[in-house]
Amino acid sequence: MSEAAVTDDLGLLTTDAMRARRHPRALLGLWAWETALAALIGMPLASLARDAFGADPRGDGALWSPGARELLSFATRELHGLNAIAIAAVAVLLAGAVAGLVPMAATMTAIAYATRDRKAAGLIRSVGEGLRQFPAMVLLLVIASISQGILVAVGFAAGSIVEAWTHSGMGEARAQQIEGLLLLVFVAAVGAIGVAHDLARAAVVRFKVSGGRGLMLGARTFRLAPIALSWSWAWRSLASLAPIVAAAWAAERLGGRGGLALGALLVLHQAVVLARVGLRTSWLARALRAVDTALRRVA
Amino acid sequence: MAARIDDLRPLRHAREDAPVRSSFLAAGALALALQPTDDAAPAPAPAQPTAPAADVSVPLAGPAFDDDAALPTHADDVVDYTLRATLDPAAHTIHGEGTITWRNTSTAMVRELWLHLYLNAFKNERSAYLRERVGGRGSASPEDWGWIDVRKLVVRAPDTVPVDEWPRAELKRPGDDDETDARVPMPREIAPGETLQLDVTFDDKLPAVVERTGYRGSFHMVGQWFPKIARLEPDGRWAHFPFHHLAEFYADYGTYDVTLDVPEGFTIGATGPTVERTLAGGRAIERHIQGDVHDFAWTAWDRWQTFHETIGGVDVSLLYPRGFIRVAARDMASIRFALPYFSARYGRYPYRVLTVVHPQNDVEEAGGMEYPTLITSGGPWLTPPGILEPEITAVHELGHQWFYGLVGTNELAWPFLDEGLNQAAEVDAMGRWRGAGSAIDLLGLRISDANLQADEANGRAHDEPVAQSADSFSTGTNYGALVYARTATLIETLRRVYGDDAVGRALGRYARRFRFQHPGPEELLAVFEEVLGAHVAETMRATLFHEGWVDFVAEQAVTREAKTEGGVFDVDGKREDVKSVTKREGGFDSSVIVRRRGTLVLPVDVAMTMADGTTRVEHWNGEGDSKRFAWHGAVALRSVVVDPECRVLLDQNVENNRAATEDGGGGAWKTLERATYWMQLALQAVAP
Repeated sequence: MSEAAVTDDLGLLTTDAMRARRHPRALLGLWAWETALAALIGMPLASLARDAFGADPRGDGALWSPGARELLSFATRELHGLNAIAIAAVAVLLAGAVAGLVPMAATMTAIAYATRDRKAAGLIRSVGEGLRQFPAMVLLLVIASISQGILVAVGFAAGSIVEAWTHSGMGEARAQQIEGLLLLVFVAAVGAIGVAHDLARAAVVRFKVSGGRGLMLGARTFRLAPIALSWSWAWRSLASLAPIVAAAWAAERLGGRGGLALGALLVLHQAVVLARVGLRTSWLARALRAVDTALRRVA
Repeated sequence: MAARIDDLRPLRHAREDAPVRSSFLAAGALALALQPTDDAAPAPAPAQPTAPAADVSVPLAGPAFDDDAALPTHADDVVDYTLRATLDPAAHTIHGEGTITWRNTSTAMVRELWLHLYLNAFKNERSAYLRERVGGRGSASPEDWGWIDVRKLVVRAPDTVPVDEWPRAELKRPGDDDETDARVPMPREIAPGETLQLDVTFDDKLPAVVERTGYRGSFHMVGQWFPKIARLEPDGRWAHFPFHHLAEFYADYGTYDVTLDVPEGFTIGATGPTVERTLAGGRAIERHIQGDVHDFAWTAWDRWQTFHETIGGVDVSLLYPRGFIRVAARDMASIRFALPYFSARYGRYPYRVLTVVHPQNDVEEAGGMEYPTLITSGGPWLTPPGILEPEITAVHELGHQWFYGLVGTNELAWPFLDEGLNQAAEVDAMGRWRGAGSAIDLLGLRISDANLQADEANGRAHDEPVAQSADSFSTGTNYGALVYARTATLIETLRRVYGDDAVGRALGRYARRFRFQHPGPEELLAVFEEVLGAHVAETMRATLFHEGWVDFVAEQAVTREAKTEGGVFDVDGKREDVKSVTKREGGFDSSVIVRRRGTLVLPVDVAMTMADGTTRVEHWNGEGDSKRFAWHGAVALRSVVVDPECRVLLDQNVENNRAATEDGGGGAWKTLERATYWMQLALQAVAP
């Protein structure tokens, strides 16, 4: 492995310098990307709601009335429109999962590299790198998704067998609790694959290697410190749930009101999204540092 | 809108059509009495059941039934069952034997008995039940068949030699292999008032759990398990019928004295209190006696956990599987609320005991069912607190103690009288107990039971009538949406429009007046007319019988600066061309047009919101096709909403209840904000 993995005028940063917090514009870029994609679904849904309840003095606030008379009516009467939007949403999610590899790789590039005069890599160079690494990232995504899918299927099958085996003897509740515990083991395994997947991505960015080679390097990194790396991923994942819960609590109190309350909710929700982008990017930076450290040690 | 006293017309104490109906019924009874009933004559095909004849000679309810003072203490004891049932839990069989005592309470001579053998619905796919599958619960064939074999039916009547009449019984009709409706000829005519005794022996093979009854492993839920005499109407007509797919039951009141013999270690839950319990020879033997009921069901399982509590003087027993304590506790909390509530609203619960059975989810078809003093609830052990399925099920099934149990309507002929009114009772109770989140109260989303019913019902309003027999419904979906949901939506609409006091009084008066009786739709409508007036009864009749519907529409909202009139005017012989200009005093001329589509006339409020945020509320009695409100005011109109408080749940479409002026309306910013946020979170879940 060549230490001087340098492209054109970009140079690799030291391990310790690979920090997400030093790249707020990259974080904002990721947030903007997600917001733009999300708006593709939010706008037609809002248009549908405006046609249905826009004439109400509360506007679509009627949809959030206690008891949900209007919401239920909307869901029933606008079923065809909602179905079309749901299909579009799935398409956007799938496209986002694949196309999102580019901004992700670009962000990782921004975290790991700088120009020779120690300036940030910049949008164009980072995105250029992201595009260059796209095929490798797609390969990794396919391999990881298939592996995780198989694990989930095996987990459900095993859980179902165990549930059927224990059902008559232990009763439905206990049997399903055991099934749930077994599923948790598989979920943990799926999480471990996710961690290794991110390490492989980091290896691709860090060492400019193919997807296959990145996979090997990522797996090797994971084997060197599985618990530390899993914990590093897990606490960020758990922490990223906290703002969602807090925002839900706040949203319930703000209710379906408009005006300032709506403005406050908008700010709060976007702060949640941004915080989650930050935590995710922080993990990707950690993955970059991990592969960097591990492979330096191996080299 | 609160109840408007001027809408409540004077009470009518006699129906105008009563004499005509009396004559008609008398003629019908005479014709039936004169029908040849020779055994050799072909048995009549099971008639399409009709409503029990309205007892037109009975005075209407009156305020005496607004409280429990006039409540009857006991039912007229027509049929008593003294049975002993022995369960073989390995073979899933029950051997039954005992005595049925039956009295001819009609005005006609009787030459035959009709017996319901409901369990034969699960004997093969030629049963009416399994032939008629149109969706809804119990639509799959049983994994293991079930049946009932009557071995002996010895008829003992005065001046007659006891003889086993079962060999002469007719189990099927020509061209129909259904075996759920058996005709048994009598050795002689049974006169009005005469009593028969029947010694009966039978063997049940329970099906794998299907539609309320059956087994799974050592779990046994035993309903519709014994030969049950059909109800004889006062005019001598037998209300007999096969077990139809969407239908339930109908029977006379009486006393059930049932001894249950199960292996030791099995816990029993059954109709009525346990009066004896002995353990002998590895068997547990329990005797249950309950009067004033029209059915008996029981369960036996060696894994039941039990919990007991006294609620309002009633001993409530809760049977639940291991690991289900949390969700079962929610059943008990529901009973704690609903038992006193229903007692206050529909007359006191007259029995000493109530048993609540919460089955596992793998036998959920045994759940959600009502029997006298025994109900089955439901819900997985892990049901989130914000999903109120267990509460709704428990409250619903408890409500059936009144609408089915104490008011013994014909569930086949008029399912809306039990399921529909009970659904209304459930919606009312859940709303009273849990408010706007009475069905779902999760993560800020609050969905009420009433609104769920309205949404389900309104989409099916034009499909077929609510008031028809269960087997007439084209699909199980329509049966659910119309019988349950639309009836509940109708009653809830009346409650919101005419006031809880008046509608609650009408339902309470009906439930008390017809306790231990078998009323039909006319009795219900008569009581509502008595309390709320003829126009309300007509609204009910239109909704129930004639697919009545209503859709309020906010057609137009217009506002403009007040101007002087312009045009060409002839004044003092001169022609003047006058320009329209803004009035010096300012202000706005505003108007709205609201429309009522459909056949139901219901009053509504119309709320007009002004530019300064104030609201002007007008009342429209709903008569006529449309109504225009016009006024001059200092502030411009922004929008109008018909029925702003959603009182008319029967309103087919609430989206067209709103109209805005050019500058009015609130847009859809909240949806944009929330949808974008949720989509962002979804993207973060799948995106790299």
